[in-house]
Amino acid sequence: MMTSVATEVAAPRETVKVTKNIYKPHLMTIVAMRDETHDTRTLRLQFKDPQVAETFDWKPGQFAQYSVFGVGECVFTIANSPTRKGYIECTFRQVGKVTSALRDMEVGQTIGFRGPYGNWFPVDEWDGKRLYFVGGGIGTVALRGVMQYCLDNRKRYDEILILNAARTVADLVYKSEMDEWASVEGVTLVKAVDPGGETPDWDGKVGLAPNVFEELKPTPDNAVLITCGPPIMIRFMLLAAERLGFKPEQVYTTLENRMKCGLGKCGRCNVGPYYVCKDGPVFTAAQLSRLPKDF
Amino acid sequence: MLRKRLTSENLKRWIDALVESGKQVVAPVHEEGLTVFRTISSSDQIADNYTKTDFPFKEWLFPPTEVILRYRFENGEPVLEDPEVDATETVALFLRPCDATAISVLDKVFGGDYEDEFYMTRRRKLTVIGLSCVEPQPECFCTSVGLSPTSERGSDILLTQIGNDFLVEAITEKGEQLVNEYANLFADAEGLTKDQVTAEVIAKMKRTEPLPTFSETYTDIFEHPVWEEIARKCLGCGICAYSCPTCHCYDIVDEATLFEGVRCRNWDCCAFGLFTLHASGHNPRPTQAHRYRQRVLHKFAYFLQTYGQNMCVGCGRCIVKCPVGMDIYEIVQRIGEQVTSQV
Repeated sequence: MMTSVATEVAAPRETVKVTKNIYKPHLMTIVAMRDETHDTRTLRLQFKDPQVAETFDWKPGQFAQYSVFGVGECVFTIANSPTRKGYIECTFRQVGKVTSALRDMEVGQTIGFRGPYGNWFPVDEWDGKRLYFVGGGIGTVALRGVMQYCLDNRKRYDEILILNAARTVADLVYKSEMDEWASVEGVTLVKAVDPGGETPDWDGKVGLAPNVFEELKPTPDNAVLITCGPPIMIRFMLLAAERLGFKPEQVYTTLENRMKCGLGKCGRCNVGPYYVCKDGPVFTAAQLSRLPKDF
Repeated sequence: MLRKRLTSENLKRWIDALVESGKQVVAPVHEEGLTVFRTISSSDQIADNYTKTDFPFKEWLFPPTEVILRYRFENGEPVLEDPEVDATETVALFLRPCDATAISVLDKVFGGDYEDEFYMTRRRKLTVIGLSCVEPQPECFCTSVGLSPTSERGSDILLTQIGNDFLVEAITEKGEQLVNEYANLFADAEGLTKDQVTAEVIAKMKRTEPLPTFSETYTDIFEHPVWEEIARKCLGCGICAYSCPTCHCYDIVDEATLFEGVRCRNWDCCAFGLFTLHASGHNPRPTQAHRYRQRVLHKFAYFLQTYGQNMCVGCGRCIVKCPVGMDIYEIVQRIGEQVTSQV
């Protein structure tokens, strides 16, 4: 084997500051927080930079990378609608390293935020249609932004049904907001928990979300169904929708996969050739039926 | 395209002149029993008698680990700092056509919308001088993925040895400039053609079956039991991705003390179980079969569908380095047979 080793060369090196860094987050202050359940919390965040606060915009259904400096980044949806600007809200469940660190943060502290990323719900295509929102557990969080958008643009849509479901009463998110949703004219709110998840004073439905939805006999005429929940619930919701006569093009859901970059580069959130971060997270049932089961 | 003739002596002069001009010149050198790309200070250091470096040029554009954000804590509050990136004018010498083509793959990932400034800064400062192969290795299969031992893709200049001289093809403007700056070293290329070299090298290659691609058929074979059979011996060590000139998946992690920290981008690999594991415990790719399927389909279906270019360049490093003898050339053919038998 040859052994001539290249000598260290003191070649003049040039470095530049990275100024258009796609990984650089905005700094945001936690201005308020609310516990939704024993393990799920909503944070309200404000941009530190007033110019970003002024100009930041997004579409309902888009997500962001939230970070705790020194711990890491994680992905949540932007849980408020762009009709409610001036702040960002996220709702997360404490499950891993970053969400645990995030839960340890207090009002007044600073976190990182980069986004908005991904596609969004086609709210303009839904003008004049009936809207059915069916969220299960933490899945309701992914629907909250688009729900707020439609409630804030109430006149553009026909009747709206919101089904907020969870395994148990204790796992139901946005309890304190459901009255506000129900108070909007033409909105029917149904809440449901799985059998065995009810409390003695529970005044909602008892049953699995897809069954409760089917029992409500929603007409598929001129309607769209927007649903999110655990994978098993989404699977049965798609079946229920089919039985009710919904076409796959009328059914929307939003996927999640582990992500790092959020920009279609780091290579892990793909479902077939589509990146959930860039081509999603919003997909129709028709699109999902053509994709391999890689989520 | 600018075509010139360069003698072996003048090639050395040219390289030494490039070093003297203050540019960083990176070339294959022998180091601790391996052939790797290193900065050189003289043409004498360049490795002779090798076909392919043990590891590809990739790490010069996309390092195994890189700081993408710096911050410090002042009274507990984070203060962000823009990181620095190396912008040294660099000439990369003697990339084999497979490795040069791989750069065109990486360009698609890190360029495009949401340009990655870390990669692109280095890329814009880079001029690639490729070197056609004269002797294939047993694992080489570039012609099976549409390339050749003398293909130009990814190179700014391609050198092909013909007898004692080199045919110089300046493919890009950047390449032409680098030739024109040293015009007195180059002679007219009249009478020089690489066709014969190309044919001779291809004739010596052991693996020449055209490999199938699966952009149209991946949904048909997605759940085929053959994946389980193929992946049974895979250890999930990741050397295939780490030695691959096109693999580009990465992780992002924070490393910090109480006073300061960095956010790093590190190479990652689809063979690892943690790669896609959700915080909830759900894993869309729970077994090695799921993960190896992702490796094959990313290279031979998904990337092709998204960017119109094959993601495998046929260098065969993953075949040589795999501790259990996974052979992507044979595996892709085997997958292809399943498609044919299903139709």
